[in-house]
Amino acid sequence: MAEATSTTVHIEGRRLTLTNLGKLMYPEASFTKGEVIDYYARIAPVMLAHLGDRCVTFVRYPDGVQGKSFFEKRCPGHRPDWVRTALGRGDRRARTAADRSGTGGIDYCVLSDVPSIVWAANLAAIEMHTPMARAAKMDIPTMAVFDLDPGAPAAMRECAEVALHLREALGSLDLELFPKTSGSKGLQVYLPLNADHDRDHVRSFALAVAQLMEKQHPNLVLTTMAKDLRVGKVFIDWSQNAVFKTTVCAYSLRARSRPTVSTPVTWEEVEAAADGAPLSFEAPTVIERVAGMGDLFAPAATLVQHLPPAA
Amino acid sequence: MPRAIWSGSISFGLVNIPVKLYSAVSRKTVHFNQLDSRTNSRIKQKRVSAQTGEDVPYDQIVKGYELASGAYVVVTDDELSALDPKALRTIDIDEFVDLAEIDPMFYDAPYYLAPDRAPKPYLLLAEAMCKTNKVGVARFVMRTKQYLAAVRSMDGHLVLSTMVYADEINDPSSIPELAELAGIELSDKEMVMAEQLIDSLAADFEPDKFHDTYREAVLELIDRKASGQQLVAPAAAAEPDKVVDLMAALEASVAAAKEARKRHPTAGNGTAGEPTVVEATAADGTTAEETAGEGAEGHSGTAPGPQGPEPEAKSA
Repeated sequence: MAEATSTTVHIEGRRLTLTNLGKLMYPEASFTKGEVIDYYARIAPVMLAHLGDRCVTFVRYPDGVQGKSFFEKRCPGHRPDWVRTALGRGDRRARTAADRSGTGGIDYCVLSDVPSIVWAANLAAIEMHTPMARAAKMDIPTMAVFDLDPGAPAAMRECAEVALHLREALGSLDLELFPKTSGSKGLQVYLPLNADHDRDHVRSFALAVAQLMEKQHPNLVLTTMAKDLRVGKVFIDWSQNAVFKTTVCAYSLRARSRPTVSTPVTWEEVEAAADGAPLSFEAPTVIERVAGMGDLFAPAATLVQHLPPAA
Repeated sequence: MPRAIWSGSISFGLVNIPVKLYSAVSRKTVHFNQLDSRTNSRIKQKRVSAQTGEDVPYDQIVKGYELASGAYVVVTDDELSALDPKALRTIDIDEFVDLAEIDPMFYDAPYYLAPDRAPKPYLLLAEAMCKTNKVGVARFVMRTKQYLAAVRSMDGHLVLSTMVYADEINDPSSIPELAELAGIELSDKEMVMAEQLIDSLAADFEPDKFHDTYREAVLELIDRKASGQQLVAPAAAAEPDKVVDLMAALEASVAAAKEARKRHPTAGNGTAGEPTVVEATAADGTTAEETAGEGAEGHSGTAPGPQGPEPEAKSA
């Protein structure tokens, strides 16, 4: 157990007190909280394009990844006044009449600059999850996601296969896709939109694509959540496009045994993974990749693509 | 600035002195909110029928006075307001008594009386009561309740203490341990010793000496827990010469971690550290599966909130 220490730092004109830098957040990898914050501070300049204008949900691990965790949607009341917030969607399953009346929104954090990201990292917000829409326009997703989740013994290799099928199918519609690892077991394939498609249109399009995949590759693809059916198959979670859902943000760390990152990858890397090559990256490697390859995920935030008109 | 909670006039004999009433004390009890320990969300109370378990809307709730078990007389708000003591805005002093005659047990809550636009008669009354060392026993109405009160002079101004009514004080003989004291005899020697002991601890009453140490300890605990994750040091509290560049601070920390790994090169080839709790609900009621990507992996549970160095501050 590291001693409880705190260090006050300056970052972009903000003053932050970082605590317990020596604490082991990933005990099996001997990866400390200082290294978590260091990773986020270094990746923040590229991560901002994907995180900076969205309501963020934290998954916090105050005692490290082997300890208890909790989701935090509501931006903590003790935040510095320069951490932005935005009113975002509350719970789909409103529990009381007052909630159902539509006023039950939540003030989310919006991490719009490097100090804000570092602040969140210091809260042990190891995972940062974001919705498909920006905070300013909650009903207009800027992208769609196909979350490929393998059911053992299927693994990354099968996910990569499905991703390549998706690329082919959507390529026939002149739609370009961008893959990233989930940082956990699977792959996530993003379809940049950055056009004014409403969420229902995007969601039904994603469902149609997923069902097409299931029809074309019945032994590989599944579109229903049921886990017992998933053995050896890849679940395409199209429902992540719902307005109340979030998906792990590009470049977010994951709370696995080692400090893996949801890492944007090239299609060549996905092709290699379909041939059995490993496809998983840890924080220090991701920093090197970004230094060498730039932000492979940049088009997700900028590329304008139009869906076929809704039926 | 505190706000007056009542205004009216002190009335005795033919004299009327306009006054305002201010609370003389600010309770400093530490208040907590109840939270769900798994999510740190606030606990909400629901009004449900004891019979059906269903929600009872506010406009369907009436007051009932229990006559016998299960038998109620329903009393409406209109009926009650018809009985309200007439809100005469006067503090009627019926008589003046010696301060020592009133047992402290009767005192309830203290207020300051301040003059309302007419300071001279107020001061005159305050000084006269001080000279005669008398306390005015008064009645007045505040918020539909009629109070018994003691008005006295203190340091050139008037204070009012609400008092409990005599029939509100429980009879001590109803407490068996007190009733049994009557049969016990004490020797003179014992009594002398006890008196000596008391004399040896005699002191002047200095209220400043006493603090609610429990409250102070609780506040300190909260402060300590909150500051565990409080990131912005107040500008005044931070020492400028200790502020370092972020990257410099992190590099030192990262170097230390790398050094530690060199000393223990075996670390790092274990199995996945899945969180311990899988089924749980986020602070706003969203389940883990809904919230995160790869929910189907059940990868991220929520759990009893934060313990340890980064506690969750209450959001209220």
